Order: sequence, then structure tokens, then C-alpha cells
Amino acid sequence: MELRWGVRNLRRHPFRTALSIAGIAVASAMLLDMVMLRGGLEASFADLLLVRGYQIRVTPKGTLPLDSEATLPDATGLVATIRRDPGVASVAPLVATSIYGRRVAGPDSVVTLFGYGIDPRDQGLYQLLRGADLAPDDSAGVLLSDASAAALGAGIGDTVTLLGVLDPQMAAPAMERRLVVRGVVQWLYDYRDQPSVGTIVPLMQRLARTEQEDRVSVLLVKARSDAEVEPVVDRLRAQLGGAEVNGVADLVRHFQDRMVYFRQLATILGSVSLLVTVLLIGTLLTITVNERLGEIATLRAIGVSRASVVKEVLVEGTALTVVGCALGVALGLVTARYLDEILTSFPGLPATFSFFVPRTPNVVTAILVTLLTGALAGLYPAWLAARAPIAPTLRAEAT
Amino acid sequence: MRRIPHLILLILLPFLAPARAAAQGVLEVALERRMATELGLRVGDTLRLGVAPDSLNRVARVAAIYEPAADPATVLRRELRLRMHLPDLAALLGQPDRVDRFGVALEPGASADSVARTLNQAAFGYRAYPSSQIASESSQTFRVVSRFHRAIAVITIVASAIFLLCIMLLKVEERRMDAAVMRFVGIRRRTIFLALLLEAAVVAVLGSALGVGIAWASGAATNLYYQRFFDTQLVFSLVTPDIVRFSVVLSLVLGLAAGALAAWRLVRTKPMVLWGRG
Repeated sequence: MELRWGVRNLRRHPFRTALSIAGIAVASAMLLDMVMLRGGLEASFADLLLVRGYQIRVTPKGTLPLDSEATLPDATGLVATIRRDPGVASVAPLVATSIYGRRVAGPDSVVTLFGYGIDPRDQGLYQLLRGADLAPDDSAGVLLSDASAAALGAGIGDTVTLLGVLDPQMAAPAMERRLVVRGVVQWLYDYRDQPSVGTIVPLMQRLARTEQEDRVSVLLVKARSDAEVEPVVDRLRAQLGGAEVNGVADLVRHFQDRMVYFRQLATILGSVSLLVTVLLIGTLLTITVNERLGEIATLRAIGVSRASVVKEVLVEGTALTVVGCALGVALGLVTARYLDEILTSFPGLPATFSFFVPRTPNVVTAILVTLLTGALAGLYPAWLAARAPIAPTLRAEAT
Repeated sequence: MRRIPHLILLILLPFLAPARAAAQGVLEVALERRMATELGLRVGDTLRLGVAPDSLNRVARVAAIYEPAADPATVLRRELRLRMHLPDLAALLGQPDRVDRFGVALEPGASADSVARTLNQAAFGYRAYPSSQIASESSQTFRVVSRFHRAIAVITIVASAIFLLCIMLLKVEERRMDAAVMRFVGIRRRTIFLALLLEAAVVAVLGSALGVGIAWASGAATNLYYQRFFDTQLVFSLVTPDIVRFSVVLSLVLGLAAGALAAWRLVRTKPMVLWGRG
């Protein structure tokens, strides 16, 4: 009965009700976006790190993966040491360096490229899109991305020339290799249109002139199971004093530190959205109850209980919130896509990264918080309705 | 041992050593104030520097502590930085006579674009950029943040407009009985409309003034919090006269529009209906 009564009351003032629903919809859309932003940053980053199942990163001391030009020496020894750990399933060495390539055709023939040195047997860096992967000892092959293929004007089966350190005084590269394009891949951590190429580790080390010290930028380590990650991290930290060992959870924490601004912004704007919802519903219901005090007193006089009156006011608030929230979720998902497009255009951000991740728990959290807020906002007007004195109110109405 | 986050290329550790031990082959370095505070170092203290934790073999003396210019591009990274003479750093890195970049000062009247073009025609292994291009590319991050803020501002304005409209509507509708009585005693609709509009204007002006006060206070609190959080002099929130003007005008326009709409609906309603007997 209370539901029908509440809905009928809302329909008495369609314009007012529509405005309130619109207000709640915008507020809950904002809340949903902020919940998605707050949780999405971490979730998206963790997903990105775990996309190939490598849960641990080993980097030079004091650095994060690919955050600086620092490198680890004696990669072969390090890989062997790490592989000896009983909890380790595989280790993927990675060299990341700046190199150059000659365009297959065109006037300005030298282009700057990002070079990755990988071990095709153990790699956590790319997914093959077209063509073939490199063989483990393929020192004549290269993998391109769509962006580097376009920059070099090359396709699968073409021969491209990669240049190592360029010497401005000699006007010659320190190293030059002609390689056959084996396949086109998606480099998982590349930003949009980053022209990256990949070869086996020894070849990229030669191009970067780091082969003598056997240097790599980062080692990706896969533990045998998720439960093994923490113990492996602890053991490797104890063993590898000159290196930084981080599990995905540690890296997410570092990332959170850098993205603290967005997390705090999400918290503040989410709170403001809730406040707007409370004010809207609270004000609307309070004024509505004040307008209907005579009606409420009459109902009380003919035997309708206080509890029924309270329930009716709360139902009214909840009905407003439910409709507003449903619209808000749809609106929030649309605005999240727009806001995500803006933020993912950050320079240097991996193209697969997302700020607003519409996960079910995020959506459910936003809905529940809004509904709870809406219900709570109705408490004060419900209390006003319940304590309205019957006789004086009826007398005032009659005069 | 305390971890030094994200220290690029150099590893360093403070250590206690007699002053005379550092007399020979001691480098002089200048530390950023935040780094000196974090590591508890003062002018005259000594450090060991190296490119790896197991090769901290150069002794350096803190010759100066400096406060860097506030830079939004680096504030989130919280890197610890020190400065040293170029030959000292090159020797420490084992890369004598190598640099990352040159800054080139031009003769008065020379065009940075044409000089960069000329250099790039002869370039092999380097690329020349005019400062304006570097500034433009390095400010890309802030342009993205700025676009994001604008988008959030639009959503906030829409939410505020609906909220304001709703509140004004309710506020005016609270005056149903007053409006009915005024109509009964013969006051013209136009007068009632203007009275309600005036009331809405007063509410909008007071609300705007309060809003400016809250914005100023929350801006100050934001700056205080983030300046402490990031240990920087950067200004994070700026309430400029233009922003105040825009916000106040928008609030007044929205408030008056909402008040006018609500008042118009009220004066169109029959007095008996307003009185609750219609």
C-alpha cells in the first residue's frame, strides 16, 4: 500500500519529480564514474601487468620497470639464479633501448625506433597479430608493430635495416643489421602509435652496445602459482641485493602513489555527488511532507499508523532514488567512456590502459551507495511526518 | 636501510667519515632540499656515489642545498635529485664526453625554427628542436588534465543547474499560500511574479557569495594539503577573478531562470488551487 501511495504522491508533481530524478541521475552518474576511476586505475594496471601471467619484475636498484635507462648487468647469470628458485616457473629477460631504422623507401631514411630484446620462449611483452613469431635463436628476424611497420614502410617478409648507436662525429652507426620481418605484434606496454621493433636479446644488446656486460632492462618472472609470488619475491630480494624485486601488488602500490591525485579527486567528487543526492532528496521530501501535513494528519486521525506514514515517505525517497539511479548508471557508463578517451590520451601511457573500468563490483557499489544514501535522506522528512500533531494540524488546515 | 625511490642512474648512500678522509678526490654535489631533508643531510656531509649498489666508490661532499623551481611535470614522480659538475658525472658514469642534450642560445634575431631545420639537415645521431616545440610536447600532459577538468566541470555545472532549478522550484512553491492570498486581495500576477523573481535573485546572490567563499576556502585547503603532501610550492587550486566572474554570472543566470520558471508556473495556477480548495 505504501508503495502505491508514495508513487501516487510523486505523480502529483510531475515536473518537480522529473527534476529531482534528473538531479539524482546526474549525481549518481558522477558517483559511478568516480567509483570506476578510483578502482579502475588499479585494476587496469594490475590487469596490464598480469596479461601474460608474469607476477614479478626484477629491475635495477631504485627503479621501476622501464622507468629509466638503468640496466642490470650479467643477465644470463641473473636468469640462471632466478630459475633455480623452486617457486619460479619461468623468467623472461627484456632489453629496452632506443635504436634507429632505415625506411625501405623514402627521402628521410632514418627513423627513431623503440627496440625490445626478447626471448621468444619466455616473453611477457607482446601478442602475435600476423605472420610468425621469432625462433629462439633467430638472429636474422625482427618483429614489428603496426606503428613501426608504417614508420619503416615495411611488411611481413620485407628486409629492414636497424641501426645501433649513431655517432654524430663519424656520421655512421656503430652497428647495422639487415633483418627480415617475421611478424607483426601488439606490444602490450606501448603507448598509442609507438614505433617499436623486437629482436632476440643478444641482437638487441649488440645494437645497444651492451652485449659485453650482458645488460637487460628488466626481468619478468612467473611464479608457479599465485600463492608462491610473495615467498619468491622475498627470496629473490634476499638473493639479489643489487636489484629491485617487485610483485604486481608492490608495483600497483607505486602506481597508486603516482596516481594519488586521481584517486583523491575521485573520492572528493564521489562524496560531493552523494551530498547532492542527500540534499536533493532530503529537501524535496521535507517540502512535500510539509505541504501534505494536513493529509498526513487526516490519515493518522482515521487510524493509519505512524509506521505506515514513515514507510510511505521512505518509499517515496527510495522510488526517486531507484529511478534516478537507473538513469544515472546508463548516463555514467556513457560519460565514463568519454572521460576515459580524454585521460587515455596521456602521453606515454600504454594504449591498452583504461582509467574507467566498468566492473560489476564497481557498478554494484555505486548503486548500493546511492540507494542507501537516498533511503537515509528520507529519514528526516519521515520523522517530521511521524511526529506531526494530529489535532492542531487538522485545526490549522480547517481555518 | 631506507630505500630511495626511482633514483635514476645514480645510487648513493650517506655515510659517516672523518673530514680529512674526504680531502682527496672528493666530488662536490648540490642536493635538492627535499632529498637533503629525506636523507637527513646537511652542507659539509659526505656521501658515496656509484652507478650500482656494489660500486659506491666515489666520495662526494654536499657543497650546497638548493630549492628547485616548482615543476608540475616532476612533482608526482617524487624523484630525489642532486646536481654535480658535468665532467664529474661523465667520469662517474664511465661515459666521458657524452651528453644527453645541448641547449643552444641563438644570436639575437635568429629564428629557432630555421636553425633547428638547418641542424637537422646535417644531423646524424641527434635531433634539434626549438624550445617552443619541446614546451608544447612536454605540456601535453597538462593539456589532457585540463581537458579532463573541463569535462568534469561541465558535468558539475549540469548537476548544479538541475539542483538549483529543483531548489528554486521548491522554494517558490513553498509560497503557494502567500501567492494565493496576494491574488485574493487583488495583487496583480505580474507583481507577484516580480516579487518571487526578486526573492530568487536574492537567494541566488547570497548563494553565489557563499559559493565564492567556499571555493576560496576549499582552494586554500587544497593548496595547503597538496603542497604539504608533495612538499612543493606549486599552486594546485587557483580561484581567479575570471573564474569567480564566470561562476557568479552562471549562478545568477541559472538562479533567475529557475526562479522565473517556478514563479511563472505559480502565477498561472488558479488562486483556489493554490489555496488547496480548487
